[in-house]
Amino acid sequence: MDSDISEMSLGQEFMRTNVDSDTDQSGTNEGVKAMETSEWLEETNKMHIHRADMNKLIMNYLVMEGFKEAAEKFSIEANIKPPMDLDQLDERIRIRTAIQNGQFQEAMRMVTALHPEILDDNSQLYFHLQQQVLIELIREGRVEEAVVYAQDHLAERGQRDPSILNELERTLALLAFDQPDTSPFGDLLHPSHRQKVASELNAAILRAQNQEETTPLLAELLKLLLWAQDELNKKKVQYPYMTDLIKGQIEERK
Amino acid sequence: MGVAVLARRDVEHSRVYIDQLYSNDSQKCFQAVSELKFAVIGSVREKGSIIEQGVVVRLLQILRAPELDILLKTEVATVLNSLAKGLPEHAAALVQAGLLPVLWEQLESCPSGGSGSAYTQMLLCCLRSIYRQGCAPPPPAWDQKLLSSLIQHGYHPPSNQECVANILAHACKTNEQQQQLVDAGGADLVACLLCSPVSRVQLPALHCLTAMCFNNERVSSIIATKSYGGKAVPDLLVGLMARDRPRDMQLAAATALTFLHRAGALSADDPRIIYKTLQCLVRMCRRDREVWERVEAANTLAYLTEVSTDLQRTAAMTDHLIHTMNDYLKDTTPPNASVPQGISVSPVSCRQYDNPSTWPELMVGAALKVYASLGANDEDIRQRVIKTDVLMNTIVTSLSAASPPVQLAAVRCLHSLSRSVHTLRTTLQDHVVWRPLMTVLKTSNNEELVTVSSSTLCNLLLEFSPSKEQILDQGAVEFLCGLTRRPHPGLRLNAVWALMNMAFQAEHRVKVSILHHLGTDQIFRLLSDTDVHILMKTLGLLRNLLSTKGHIDQIMQCHGKEIMQAIILILEGEHSAEVKEQALCILANIADGDIAKSAIMSNEDVLKKLMNYMVIPNVKLQIAATFCISNLIWNVEEGAAERQNKLREMGVYKLLQNLMTTTDTGLFDKVKTALQQFH
Repeated sequence: MDSDISEMSLGQEFMRTNVDSDTDQSGTNEGVKAMETSEWLEETNKMHIHRADMNKLIMNYLVMEGFKEAAEKFSIEANIKPPMDLDQLDERIRIRTAIQNGQFQEAMRMVTALHPEILDDNSQLYFHLQQQVLIELIREGRVEEAVVYAQDHLAERGQRDPSILNELERTLALLAFDQPDTSPFGDLLHPSHRQKVASELNAAILRAQNQEETTPLLAELLKLLLWAQDELNKKKVQYPYMTDLIKGQIEERK
Repeated sequence: MGVAVLARRDVEHSRVYIDQLYSNDSQKCFQAVSELKFAVIGSVREKGSIIEQGVVVRLLQILRAPELDILLKTEVATVLNSLAKGLPEHAAALVQAGLLPVLWEQLESCPSGGSGSAYTQMLLCCLRSIYRQGCAPPPPAWDQKLLSSLIQHGYHPPSNQECVANILAHACKTNEQQQQLVDAGGADLVACLLCSPVSRVQLPALHCLTAMCFNNERVSSIIATKSYGGKAVPDLLVGLMARDRPRDMQLAAATALTFLHRAGALSADDPRIIYKTLQCLVRMCRRDREVWERVEAANTLAYLTEVSTDLQRTAAMTDHLIHTMNDYLKDTTPPNASVPQGISVSPVSCRQYDNPSTWPELMVGAALKVYASLGANDEDIRQRVIKTDVLMNTIVTSLSAASPPVQLAAVRCLHSLSRSVHTLRTTLQDHVVWRPLMTVLKTSNNEELVTVSSSTLCNLLLEFSPSKEQILDQGAVEFLCGLTRRPHPGLRLNAVWALMNMAFQAEHRVKVSILHHLGTDQIFRLLSDTDVHILMKTLGLLRNLLSTKGHIDQIMQCHGKEIMQAIILILEGEHSAEVKEQALCILANIADGDIAKSAIMSNEDVLKKLMNYMVIPNVKLQIAATFCISNLIWNVEEGAAERQNKLREMGVYKLLQNLMTTTDTGLFDKVKTALQQFH
């Protein structure tokens, strides 16, 4: 029996811990120095991570993000069974491809055909998809169509929900600029914004497929690391601080 | 100009596909339904527009037509499901158009082994979406066959599990439905679903379980003994209450355990209740939690601790609960408050949080309920609760200004506090609570509210206090006498009880007022009341009225005949010894009056009854009868000699002598005292 995506022998306990804010904490370690960097690195090196666990993490990432070919290849090379039938990835892959090509309306139709309840049940997601359609129209300079689209589809939503109205106004404000990408709202045009929506949609589809975990465990691990560092920083502890997660660069925290 | 042209084109486009819906060509029809689907999903406006255009009738027609393709029907069901997810008025319109019978009928026609079919799944989704909106009229009882097939469908796949659990959770409202559900195998289904690896299934299963258990002893005891995968349901629930679970799941599990306890299936000292459920709920009341969580948790906690003193004591010392509730009373809505997204609050209270401006009031109501429960029995807890700085002011304001549910919470809290003599004499004097309380009593139509208020007033009238006078001035006597005529027995009892308290050591004018407004007819009626408590309190009232010599004489002068009739009625009737004892005590009081004595002495029948009671094998009755005799013959008073002679002739002296052999010290003393009077 294959293990679920959600089961990882590596630190399963602390993965599932809820971050309770405990008002009874006393901050007695203000300005405490943890230990010398060399000692720290030595202790860290003593931790032994099983290769099998690493492989599972990677497989989990590939499957979650929809890298089907890579997952198939990795499954063979690392001799690890994928956690689900990889053909199930196809629909998510098609949808993600459409999004990457900027075809948001097409993506919405695909999602609706496969999981008709998603867009009704996730109104925030639906708004972000529609907002993205609007952004793409603005990016291509199709101003009139953008305005009509905003009127037809987004105006009523904005009326009912004040937080959406705010976002809508920011998006439409792009029209006021000759060079919208240098405007204060330029972040909306950035590819990372597309990526955010893609991930949101991906997570919703996974939920609709009854998957309990909707983001890759690797991402959760990194978040945990960042959170831990943040907490230590708040308490002004001096410790070897990882400044670059990708390169694994460590600096002495002053 | 360009904009207007585009808009019009859209309208024309949509009209085309709507027309095609009515086509007989199934291919065209399918395409039209597909287009319709893409239009309505996600758009509230489109849903409303489609419904307004009367398309629903055509859609139902397609579902009913036996010859039409199942793919087409599935697509239609998808559209209906989406419409049902719109605003509540959309769902209501669908129900009005007759959607529910069609869905049930279609579900029945699906083959029983076909749970996995897309059509079945979509039908169930549609039913679930309607029921979740809370607009489906609840049938008094379910169709047994339908219920069984629904439960069968609920075993797999996960989509069906979630739908069936939600349908049952929202539809199960009456005792009868609860019974039917359990008898049809609902408890087994729920136990199975609780163990699903999918949290989207577990949560509605929890709601279904709470709906089944609520206030139902039989169902709760059955559910508590069910198990799945080797674990009993209560243990499964404890697992779902763990801290790593989503908040709404923790809350639902805690609520389920609370209902199981209150319905008697789990005792108060069961560690799962006192060491797990209680703590979980208290934890969710903390300041850093969201409003909906804090309100739900507090309301459930109030219900959990309503009766058991052990639970009240444990709760009162858990995690500064009393202090935390104080925060609730001072809470204000943060400016950027928004309705919880994606959270599944219980079916009963989900609509409550739609409007953030009502949240402060919900918080106040919840806190008052918790205080009411905590302070119900233990004096120490009450004193700690009373120290809460804004509590009394909040109670007084809520009594007059708030909505009925919060008023009720305030009265309940006040009622618990009023059980403390110390509080009655101090805090409740400082804060003028009786005025808004009287207003509530006089103006409210809510029976529950009036019952608890009258009970509280009852307690307020116990003590000698300035407010007692003021309450009387407010026309309390007339009002309470009126309450004794109400159909609700709880109200009658509280009213009589309050009058009884009022009459205790009261001035003559108060007693006269009571008798005047109540009338001897009403007293007779109350003495014939089916509820024995009311009867006892009425006798207690009479006893209090007939105290103090002067009062006894004056009252017997005006109402003597009726009162004697009433007492004889009781003595001759089928009543418990307790009741008869009260009646004899009243006679003893009457015997104390100088003039009133003659009412008894002149009544041979009553005298014979007294003699009978002296020898009946019930010590309490004997004592009461002897005491009465003792009063009659008291030799200090005028005419004692004649009375003694008469009674001696009747054989009372001899009876008393015989009673000297009694082993009961109380009776012996009374008898001895009586004999000493004779000369």
